[in-house]
Amino acid sequence: MNVAVSSQQIKRANRLEATKLNNRMVTDYWEDLFRAKDEGRFVCWYEGVAINPILQAAGVAWCHGEAMSALLAARKEEGPAQQAAEEWGYDRELCSYARTHIGCGVLTQRSTPDTVNDLPKDSEVRKGLASRVPAPDMIISAYPFCSTGQQWDDMLYRQFGKRVPIFNISLPWIWGNKPSAKYMSGPEYREAVAFLVKQLRECIAFIESVTGKAFDHDRLREIMGYIRHAAEIKVEAMRLCKARPSPASFFEWTNSIAPVNFLPGGPEIVNYFEIKKAEIQDRINKGIGSAPTEKYRLFWDGIMNWNKIGWLADKFAGYDACIVAGRYTHMGFWHETEVIDLSDPLDGMAQNYLTCPISISAPQVVEKILEHCEYYELDGLILHGARTCRAFSYPQFLIAEAVGKKLGMPVAMFEGDMVDESFYKDELVNSRVEAMLEAIEARRTRLM
Amino acid sequence: MDEALQQMLTAARQPNVYARGWKVRSGRKVVGSFPMHFPAEVIHAAGATPVVLQEDDEPITVGHAGMYPFFCGYTRSVVDQAAKGDFDYLDAIMFGDHCVQILSAADVIRHRIPDKHVGFYQLIPSLRDRWSLENSMQALRRLIDGIEETLGVTITEDDLRASIRAFNENRQLIRHLYGLRRTGKLRLRASQMQAIIKSSMVMDKAEHNALLRHITEALGDEAEISGRGLPVYLSGHLCQAAKPAVLDMIESCGTIVVDDDLYHGYRYISMDMEAQGDPVKAIASWYLNRNFAAPCPTRLDPGIDWDGWLLNAVKASGAQGMIVLMAKFCEPHYFYYPRIRKTFERNDVPHLLIETEHEMLGLENIRTKVETFVEVARRRSAPQRSAPHAMA
Repeated sequence: MNVAVSSQQIKRANRLEATKLNNRMVTDYWEDLFRAKDEGRFVCWYEGVAINPILQAAGVAWCHGEAMSALLAARKEEGPAQQAAEEWGYDRELCSYARTHIGCGVLTQRSTPDTVNDLPKDSEVRKGLASRVPAPDMIISAYPFCSTGQQWDDMLYRQFGKRVPIFNISLPWIWGNKPSAKYMSGPEYREAVAFLVKQLRECIAFIESVTGKAFDHDRLREIMGYIRHAAEIKVEAMRLCKARPSPASFFEWTNSIAPVNFLPGGPEIVNYFEIKKAEIQDRINKGIGSAPTEKYRLFWDGIMNWNKIGWLADKFAGYDACIVAGRYTHMGFWHETEVIDLSDPLDGMAQNYLTCPISISAPQVVEKILEHCEYYELDGLILHGARTCRAFSYPQFLIAEAVGKKLGMPVAMFEGDMVDESFYKDELVNSRVEAMLEAIEARRTRLM
Repeated sequence: MDEALQQMLTAARQPNVYARGWKVRSGRKVVGSFPMHFPAEVIHAAGATPVVLQEDDEPITVGHAGMYPFFCGYTRSVVDQAAKGDFDYLDAIMFGDHCVQILSAADVIRHRIPDKHVGFYQLIPSLRDRWSLENSMQALRRLIDGIEETLGVTITEDDLRASIRAFNENRQLIRHLYGLRRTGKLRLRASQMQAIIKSSMVMDKAEHNALLRHITEALGDEAEISGRGLPVYLSGHLCQAAKPAVLDMIESCGTIVVDDDLYHGYRYISMDMEAQGDPVKAIASWYLNRNFAAPCPTRLDPGIDWDGWLLNAVKASGAQGMIVLMAKFCEPHYFYYPRIRKTFERNDVPHLLIETEHEMLGLENIRTKVETFVEVARRRSAPQRSAPHAMA
């Protein structure tokens, strides 16, 4: 008899009320972006790390490619953009974030006669959210580690006929050639930070050249003040989830990426995390968990499957499991707040960019995941191999080996994708997760 | 010539066997590297033998426990070889590339063979920024320091210049063969030309140069070879060698490969380094400027269009069509291919895409496509130009 899942039933995860506020803020942000051109604002498309505070300080509206793709997937509107990219010629094994965002680029080019012939004939694909993204006035590429990210921006630059100025920020990958190289320390790390800061200063000069306006450094300090404060509260709230049952899950933290990734830095994001933290504390006081019943506490490695956030939250709740933490949510997005010096925030910003979960190589990734698994007292680990995100997926065999050897934790590996639903196979996920829960049960029995 | 070519074919067929044997014979250290832009001259200047680690023909087995199947064949293969102990002869691995899949494979290999030093010295992927040269030179100085420390040697500027000269000679000799093939004065099958370059990636440079000199001296002043066959250009495969069987099949369908931009082809030997002056600056300049000689889709170079460059290269070679060899899961190629296809269609130049995999392909399936391509290209290019038969 299958011990772990013998009593599985359909359950609904307990959603945090704060999520509704987050969703309103996200909607407001996108509506504001869609109006940007009408209001005479410059628009920047960018991918990778969160350079939006710099754009905000410059008075430029911004569209983060991954965020746009994730939004489309979460709202089931990714189809037209992905279809446009596929009809243009992109293979579906190519990064689905890139395909979706470049598809938006194809759809927004209606005003460029020389490229009209490349547009899909079917007018239906020109409708919907994807086609509302305003065309860029500048492109900034700031991709950590992943060469695909930089090439994605290069393709956008070419897609727009090289008429949109582009600025490339090259983020060094933190490898660690010498034993002295540790997380956030050592000569190699400091050299990388210095190089990145230099490029950020050049990037500011680039933005000034496009907008024709002097950059407001005081405004950047102010914005980073809000972001740092919001991120501090976020980390405090995350760490409260050490409680049993965990009051919030990885899925609710994925919903909270927007305020610390691309929403404007201001009192609203601080307020949001204060509300969220208070709700989490209230749940702890009342003994309410994210999963109605919490028998298993898990870690999620890999990018979120944006098409299926709520659906997966309920699936794991049905297994009496709570995914308490994740690499994507807990190891990035202004996670190292203490290094952000508001008198000169670029150094601290660079350090956060260079310690995001794909900027650091496998040994440091593994070390950080082990820390999280121990802190949150987790039982097992989910490895979501996002098929078209090689950058995030590659260290997963090393992670599986490490948590197994060092913590004795069982794992479940399965393929999916961040915004291309066709790579997800539900029955395969069920069998892998159920096998892992069985292994957790067997381990508990052995340890009794 | 036949004997020299045979030695190269042997080394190309089993690069690890050659390098292992060379290490025993020479008593020198051997350092592995990964494609695509690593300046192996620096390893050579340290008195060691540089070897570009190659995809092999063996099925991937234990490597499955290290890499997902949605990585390219090259990266899965090198992880597999590392896990099987095939790289145990190496004294170190040094690399400096940018491709996410190569970096990923290197990180997994570092874990699988912890007794080997795997050093990473990243060359900036953005080639035209104001700081590109300075940053490249810094990376090269760190690489030199890393090699000196790992191998316990000192590398002088004279050492570097001597290695640059040896590599330049190698590139020039191979380019000479390319020139002869392009003008129809030399019969070399595509698989043979590939073996010449692949062996250059793994053999001792002095030994390889001697073999190349033997080949070129044996050629003499050859008259243009007459014969029929559709002249075609090969493009793609940015890291791994094409399977010889695929190349042979392409030519067995009535084509003659007259030129290419393959990594195991013209891309590898496209440009020399400046042998005078500051060698670090010479290597950095070579890295930044070789994109003009053979554009690489993994580099950021806003002024260069691979598609337009290819169109010109095909026309200059006299080819009447292009066959693109695309390694499955190669994202840089996936990104660029639609632009290439559109450019060739706009200019009415026939081209064919063949997607390749590490696991053996359905060769007969591809043959049908190539035969159809040849028919289409011949009809479009009437009156047909003549080109030599492939070497039997």
